[in-house]
Amino acid sequence: MVNLIMASPDPAVVEHVERPAELSPTTEPAPPLTFQVKNVSIWYGEKRAIDDVTLDIASNAVTAIIGPSGCGKSTFLRCLNRMHELVPKTRVEGRVLLQGEDLYSSTVDPAIVRRRVGMVFQKSNPFPTMSIGENVIIGLRLNGVRNQKFLNERLEKSLRMAALWDEVKDDLHKSGTSLSGGQQQRLCIARALAVEPEVLLMDEPCSALDPIATAKIEELIYELKAQYTIVTVTHNMQQAGRISDFTAFLYMGRLIEFGSTTKIFTNPSQKQTEDYITGRFG
Amino acid sequence: MITPKHILGTFDEALASLRNNVLMMSSLTERSLERAMKGLFNRDDDLCAHAIADDEEIDQLEIQIDKDGVAILLRFQPVASDLRRVVSAMKLSSNLERMADQATTIARRARKLNQHPPLAEVELIRPMYEQAVSMFKDSVDAFAREDVDLARAVVPRDQKLDDLNRAASRKLIERMAHDPEQLRGYLNLIFIGRCLERVGDHATNIAEDAVYAAAAEDIRHQPVVATT
Repeated sequence: MVNLIMASPDPAVVEHVERPAELSPTTEPAPPLTFQVKNVSIWYGEKRAIDDVTLDIASNAVTAIIGPSGCGKSTFLRCLNRMHELVPKTRVEGRVLLQGEDLYSSTVDPAIVRRRVGMVFQKSNPFPTMSIGENVIIGLRLNGVRNQKFLNERLEKSLRMAALWDEVKDDLHKSGTSLSGGQQQRLCIARALAVEPEVLLMDEPCSALDPIATAKIEELIYELKAQYTIVTVTHNMQQAGRISDFTAFLYMGRLIEFGSTTKIFTNPSQKQTEDYITGRFG
Repeated sequence: MITPKHILGTFDEALASLRNNVLMMSSLTERSLERAMKGLFNRDDDLCAHAIADDEEIDQLEIQIDKDGVAILLRFQPVASDLRRVVSAMKLSSNLERMADQATTIARRARKLNQHPPLAEVELIRPMYEQAVSMFKDSVDAFAREDVDLARAVVPRDQKLDDLNRAASRKLIERMAHDPEQLRGYLNLIFIGRCLERVGDHATNIAEDAVYAAAAEDIRHQPVVATT
């Protein structure tokens, strides 16, 4: 494991960042990276929500972002597909590289970024006027796909990947909102998968779900990481421990610690991380 | 190390209670071992009986610690140092219970020895006891104070205890050949030596668990650098 101690403008805060390599680079090459986030700061007007964050996000792995409310988790997640730009007076400094390509380059279309980097939100949000089937393929339709055979194939594939096909295959014409909360969330995951993104961002995807629906989503995340890079925000420490390979702890917009989830949850390097995950914060 | 208060007061209480029970169990185990050995050295059957009776309370504490540990894991799902403390406490209690079993065995064999004329060779056991009990005290002390250096220093001391046990066994076997009349007595001393050697093994386990609890480092099954 390679540890990088980065210089911090505030000497009181030492950021401890571990490269996402499970084994020493002398014995095993570092895993490929999907994102390289370099010195990113984000402002909402005068307020700095993210403060000079640098971290690498490994491909085909689950990275969990944890931290107290207001620490910038969702802002950080949204900067990975430029979704935060939808908030007025937002400003970004630094670089976010997706497969080596700068997402914030002036030549990059944010709509393309959001197609490559899909997102699932805290509250499931199927389009209420659309059927289950339409909800899944709407992204493709908006991108100009008209071939019905292709759309049908992608519909089934996406619902199967979201582990929802068997439950809804006979009800594809019914409204998306007729499904249970857990099913609606999986429908939203299917909708995100239908446009075949490279990355799936999840902002507290289970916070509104019961334990059984949560377990299904967690199982799904585990299966999806074989094909996708997943970055998730969660307030649930146990969930972060269960589903993620890497964990980043943010506090007041700063990255305090980043490393393998096992390391963070058994022996974090930073006292702030230890205090937060053990419930001794503030 | 001062640990900040948990946001749930009940968690701090549960963790403190678990720790107190482990320390109580270690005190009782130490007392039981001391009574058994004094029963041997002073030929005192009453002390041996006390050592044997202590075992019941220690067994109950082991059950209580396991129950409390599982309850903490279930209710609070601790992580990081809290998780290590709970896991280590449960492992400690298991080692302490086995040490107390060794004390009981020593006390039983001491009572048998006390029924016969004293054997001068009992003095072969004394340095083993001193080594074993000092390892035991230091390992528990290291756990209680989260003293990683002290815990690490306990591990290589087990080699000396093993050497003492081997040397004592060799001498006792020689004596058995020369003095077959006291064969049972020498055998009992050999078994007592083996019990003390196992006490040292358990003290080593506790020291290793103390390192894990304090530093999250697993030092089990590593080559030991011998110390003098």
